[in-house]
Amino acid sequence: MQTGTIKIKTKMQTRWMCLLLTSGCFFLALLWFSHARAGTDKASDSTWFVDMNNYRDSAHGSLKCQECHGSMMDTQKNHPDKKADDFLYTQTKRVFDYQSCEKCHKIAYQRYLKGEHANAGLKEKTSGKPSETGYAPTCGDCHSAHYSKSHLTRAQTGKMMTETCGTCHFEQKQSFLANYHGKAAVNLGYDKAAFCTDCHGAHTMLSLKDKKTALTACLRCHFDAGPEFANIIIHDSNKNPGLKNDTKKASLKWVHIMRALSLIFVIAVLVFFYMHTGLLMIRKLHEKLRRHK
Amino acid sequence: MEANKTPQTFQRFHVLHRILHMVIILNFTFLAISGFLLHFSGFEWARFVVSLMGGAGAAGWLHRFCAVFLYIGILIHVFWLFYYKIVLKQNFCGPDSIVPGKKDITDMYQNLRYIFNKGASPLFDRFSYLQKLDYWGELLGMQSMGITGLILWFPEFFAGIIPGFFINIAGYFHFYEAVLAVMYIGVVHMSDTHLAPDIFPMEKSIFTGKIEKERFMEEHPGEWKRQEMINDETAQQL
Repeated sequence: MQTGTIKIKTKMQTRWMCLLLTSGCFFLALLWFSHARAGTDKASDSTWFVDMNNYRDSAHGSLKCQECHGSMMDTQKNHPDKKADDFLYTQTKRVFDYQSCEKCHKIAYQRYLKGEHANAGLKEKTSGKPSETGYAPTCGDCHSAHYSKSHLTRAQTGKMMTETCGTCHFEQKQSFLANYHGKAAVNLGYDKAAFCTDCHGAHTMLSLKDKKTALTACLRCHFDAGPEFANIIIHDSNKNPGLKNDTKKASLKWVHIMRALSLIFVIAVLVFFYMHTGLLMIRKLHEKLRRHK
Repeated sequence: MEANKTPQTFQRFHVLHRILHMVIILNFTFLAISGFLLHFSGFEWARFVVSLMGGAGAAGWLHRFCAVFLYIGILIHVFWLFYYKIVLKQNFCGPDSIVPGKKDITDMYQNLRYIFNKGASPLFDRFSYLQKLDYWGELLGMQSMGITGLILWFPEFFAGIIPGFFINIAGYFHFYEAVLAVMYIGVVHMSDTHLAPDIFPMEKSIFTGKIEKERFMEEHPGEWKRQEMINDETAQQL
């Protein structure tokens, strides 16, 4: 009798265990799928052709073409010559007058005009040729007017932003992703961590070479930051072309020296003890096998 | 017959040390996992595990929580050293002590000779030099891990004391020492304690506190001899 009840009990237990395990797996799978993963695709470029299906889903989808582009009557422009060599080959981003964005995005446009990218644009106009990093960006270089989605989360926007900024500022993107901020923000989607514009300012795009402006950026999250806090190097890559501050360059050298020293120390210690342990194991095994003989 | 079934065992570890060892194992493991997940966060699997932990914020707090507990464990070890000296009135330079001494250097030399088949295995005392190294590596290593970790935890405060780029250096030190700790504990400590042919598959004395007579005689012959001498003396007195 008793053994029978015990058997039933164990059967019940195994059933419960199975149920628990399957529900656990199901829960894990749910977690996995619900874990929102933002597409890191760069905003598709503006070309002479617009994919209207995609356009309708975008943030600007409700706008009519002429609301931004105007009509030929308004702009008093002729249709470009179809037989010209550069027909459909001129870069739309360089031709389009992005001032029409100002109609709706007034604050962003004003900030852009005060910022570094607009400054670079002015320099480009006076010198007549693009700088080392390429053309000075206008709205369309970073934002896709036709395909940008609305209502993205902070982390989704941030991920796309890192890619967008990274197309010109590649070293900065790499060093940001190697830094704690980038890992938490971009890789793990932690929306309390800082993305590019959280420090450099949306649309103003300050270079933060000046310590005081850099500190104001730090203070947005690190409320107790003192003046020395701005000397922490976020983009600590050796190849960082933006690093023109001499004291920062000198301290970066020390950072890399100490990094190399600690790496050498780790390798030396590990090599010694791995050899020691490995040889000792072989010796002991040898001893044991000899004893068995 | 009875004696054959249950081999004679000796008490090797105090219950406090067994508990502390468990505390340190648990916290060390969680620290290593949560820390390296941040480093490898570029990979999808790391992101998945972090999401299981409750996101980056929760993983960060788990890391800090475990760090505090691990350091409390380390502090109790330091207090134990004082207790050992002051209350138990033991000698730091004595053979029972975990503090490294002259004998460890000669032991190491002799052990290296033994490895290359040029002599007998050294007569280890209560703690061999490798065990002492594990212990002090952990105890001292965790001090610098603690300091660099605190710097990374409170950069605002530390930037007021030390130059800003020291925080960058602290970040690198923290990472490389973590690599060293995990690769040392995971390979050297594990194989010396568990993988050694006579011990394999598992060394249980740090969990049960007991060691069998044969292994006691073989691995800690120095201590065994002293133990026998004490036993003889007490026997004579009786």
